[in-house]
Amino acid sequence: MNTLSRTDLEALAAKPEGDPPEWIRVQLDTGGIAAGAETIFTALEHERADRRLTIPLLRTGSVGYSFADPVVEVQAAGMPRVHYGCVTPEIAARILGEHIGEHRLIDDHIIATRRRGLTLDAPVTHILVKDTSPEAGNKTGFFQFSLAEELKRRGLAERVQVVRALDLGIYDEGAVVQLLPSGVTYTNVLAPDVARIVAESVEAGKVLDDLLWKTPDKQVRIVLRNCGNIDPDSIDDYLRRAQGYQGLHRVLFKLSPEAVIAEMKASALRGRGGAGFPTWLKWQLTRAQPAAQHYVICNGDEGDPGAFMDRSVLESDPHAVLEGMMIAAYAMGASMGYFYIRAEYPRAVERIQRALDQAREAGLLGANILGSGFSFDAKIRLGAGAFVCGEETALIASIEGRRGSPSPRPPYPSVRGLWGMPTAINNVETLACIPAILLKGGAWFAGYGTEKSKGTKVFAVTGKVRNAQLVEVPIGTTLREIIYEVCGGVLDGKELKAVQTGGPSGGVIPRQHLDAPVSYESLQQLGSIMGSGGMLVMDKDDSMVEVTKFFLRFCVDESCGKCAPCRIGGYQLLQVLDRISRGRGTAGDVPLIQRICLTMQKASLCGLGQTAPNPVLSTLRYFGEEYQAFIEGGPSYARKMNKATPTAATSTKVSATP
Amino acid sequence: MNIHPSVPGPETAAADLRQYDEAALIDLLEKTEQKHGFIPRDLSEEVTRLLSVKLERLRRIQGKLDSTIRRDVQQHVSHWREEEGNLIMILHAIQNQHGYVPREVAMELSRELGVPLARIYEVITFYHYFKLQPPGAHAITVCNGTACYLKGSRDLINELSSQLGIAEGQTTADRMIHLDTVRCIGCCGMAPAVVVDGKTCGHVKTTEIAGHIASIKHLKESVA
Ligand SMILES: Cc1cc2nc3c(=O)[nH]c(=O)nc-3n(C[C@H](O)[C@H](O)[C@H](O)COP(=O)(O)O)c2cc1C
Ligand code: SF4
Ligand code: FES
Repeated sequence: MNTLSRTDLEALAAKPEGDPPEWIRVQLDTGGIAAGAETIFTALEHERADRRLTIPLLRTGSVGYSFADPVVEVQAAGMPRVHYGCVTPEIAARILGEHIGEHRLIDDHIIATRRRGLTLDAPVTHILVKDTSPEAGNKTGFFQFSLAEELKRRGLAERVQVVRALDLGIYDEGAVVQLLPSGVTYTNVLAPDVARIVAESVEAGKVLDDLLWKTPDKQVRIVLRNCGNIDPDSIDDYLRRAQGYQGLHRVLFKLSPEAVIAEMKASALRGRGGAGFPTWLKWQLTRAQPAAQHYVICNGDEGDPGAFMDRSVLESDPHAVLEGMMIAAYAMGASMGYFYIRAEYPRAVERIQRALDQAREAGLLGANILGSGFSFDAKIRLGAGAFVCGEETALIASIEGRRGSPSPRPPYPSVRGLWGMPTAINNVETLACIPAILLKGGAWFAGYGTEKSKGTKVFAVTGKVRNAQLVEVPIGTTLREIIYEVCGGVLDGKELKAVQTGGPSGGVIPRQHLDAPVSYESLQQLGSIMGSGGMLVMDKDDSMVEVTKFFLRFCVDESCGKCAPCRIGGYQLLQVLDRISRGRGTAGDVPLIQRICLTMQKASLCGLGQTAPNPVLSTLRYFGEEYQAFIEGGPSYARKMNKATPTAATSTKVSATP
Repeated sequence: MNIHPSVPGPETAAADLRQYDEAALIDLLEKTEQKHGFIPRDLSEEVTRLLSVKLERLRRIQGKLDSTIRRDVQQHVSHWREEEGNLIMILHAIQNQHGYVPREVAMELSRELGVPLARIYEVITFYHYFKLQPPGAHAITVCNGTACYLKGSRDLINELSSQLGIAEGQTTADRMIHLDTVRCIGCCGMAPAVVVDGKTCGHVKTTEIAGHIASIKHLKESVA
């Protein structure tokens, strides 16, 4: 890569490059690789050579379909663009043989596009079917057969192929049929509808309004805009196809630092690392501190033990995070930045390092960037497996090479941070939003979300959910929409009991509050937090006391031990919970728990100790009777009760709220 | 591989002694003494000479190791010399090289950086990632992130512990298998997940544990 100039960037902006007509993209992020994506890539390579094909085989990050890893996306001339999930080497061979070679889609592996059409703007070439009724997809085969028969009867079999899909992103809506390439989707299709679909839609090009699925997908991809679309190891791809560094260009040549902060204020972006502090304000406070040096730090310590949003972004779109950091640095007058990334994320580290090297080579890092007079460089620092290092002051101590013990705030890092200099710490997701905001404007971003929480948020939905995946939705989307409409509801059609949000610092939200919009404020009202975006779905079989113990044990293990309320209180709390879960609890235990929790919340030095009681208090608030069952009847009784009672859990005998 | 020859008899000619190891040589002296009531001077001199040659070799190896350690540490340090707060990054480099932070290396690092050993250990012991023990030849790592926990990773850990006879974070006595837990490895879709020597296995059931252990043991035998 040669050094870029300002005019090069402007030329790229004037002439953005589209996708090439044909390609196969293999999603090689940590999750995909764990599921065998490297093997798939090699299999595709061999098969391509054997068949003497030339279709480009590309590497990319993850779109977020964790449930279907390894995922491969295919674009062939004259074919709809599709994702294949759960790809095996055998399917890889068939992708080249059937999809590329014969223009036929492959049964049972397609994840349908979430962009659904409302008009039939192109002749139908493929039909996807799946029966989404709860009693399993047993009718899928029937619908495939009858659609194919009907097509044959009308002499259309040559032109249109009927394919069984793996996932259509629509659940519990009976038989679903999607017409490609337009994406027109019909739900609750019954056997008599088959003839109509073929005659009117396929043959006559008319949309059947009574069957049409009009609900648009709940997801809006801003943070994940490039994830799974570009090669994370190529700055070229980012520059050419993803308007890469155009946000930076606008900032450097058109905006003053104050104007950048004003744009951020207009976007109303709040920190995605948990606390939700307005990002513009953090920048302004840092900027306002007179000092020889300012620093910007990207917090990639992702501590929540069940979340992987930040890793996915770092691995799939590293340049966007870097660009966000550079814009932040310009706004604050910082000339040095640090990526603090967990050492357990070697692939994220590798890709960020490559992004840094490429950007430096292209002249986007270093002195006098693009001749603008702005100088900036960034480095990586590795975390070493301590949750508390996600806390700002501990993170700074860790970068300084010391043990990661938090220190009292104030002074806040924006006043006295790294090496005593004003420092702004921003989460990975926060930074990834920034280039898009600067490119499209703060008002555009603020167009999403609720009154007080703007924009979108990425969640890692896992646990007893049908499709564990990354989801990005406007803030204010309800839990029910996220879990049922986007992720397909609870695994095996069981009853949902509660959703845990915010990881070890968060709490549970019981099913009666599923319609609560997800935002900083509303979740806090319910006794949980939005947190960094972990979302754990629990069904009837899960014991709240056990899950609480899991999170609490995590916090106790991770406590740095600096202050007594957290070090001793956490341990005591765990012992009381342990006692209760073994059936040795007493009536006095619940008030005792509340006393310890209060002490920890009030007297702990850092966020870890202050929030560690949250899972305890919130389960106590909503599932008090479960604790009571453990105390009164012991574990086996409690388990029986757990299974027997419907999880309404409205009667809270024991309330955590004083 | 160190093969013990059958213990030589007292009659063995001094010239053949070279192929015997230390224990065999001492044994030979003892046997000779038992049989004859004395040790022929030429035999004892030859044995002493051979042993001192071996000792010298040992010193040379140790010396070479020491200087390699010094050179490696110097390399790591010089790479990070200009950086403030470099200790953690240097420790990462050392652990990457050795799989853990050996005491000798930590001592050398303390000398090289001019930082007290206690401060280095303070940092090493604070962070879970740094290990003070060499890892086992094979590793079984159970994901204990929330999703895997919810789908029964605890049962998997218990099953592994009981079959291997070690707790999590420990290595079997023969240093063959190291059992550990990690937080989310990013394949929650495959929960519960177990990583066996870098290969991720999804949807693992407790009944499959024995098979995974056997496959490692099998590997071990075929190598031996
Ligand atoms: C114990 C503890 C752990 C934290 N872990 C993380 C983390 O893993 N990632 C993160 O971005 N923020 C974490 N935070 C929040 C950060 O301290 C900080 O608020 C955040 O990085 C600021 O960035 P933002 O304003 O962009 O959210 C943690 C806070 C505490 C108290
Ligand atoms: S609250 Fe806990 S983690 Fe935070 S400083 Fe105190 S002991 Fe350390
Ligand atoms: S929690 Fe185990 S892979 Fe995510």
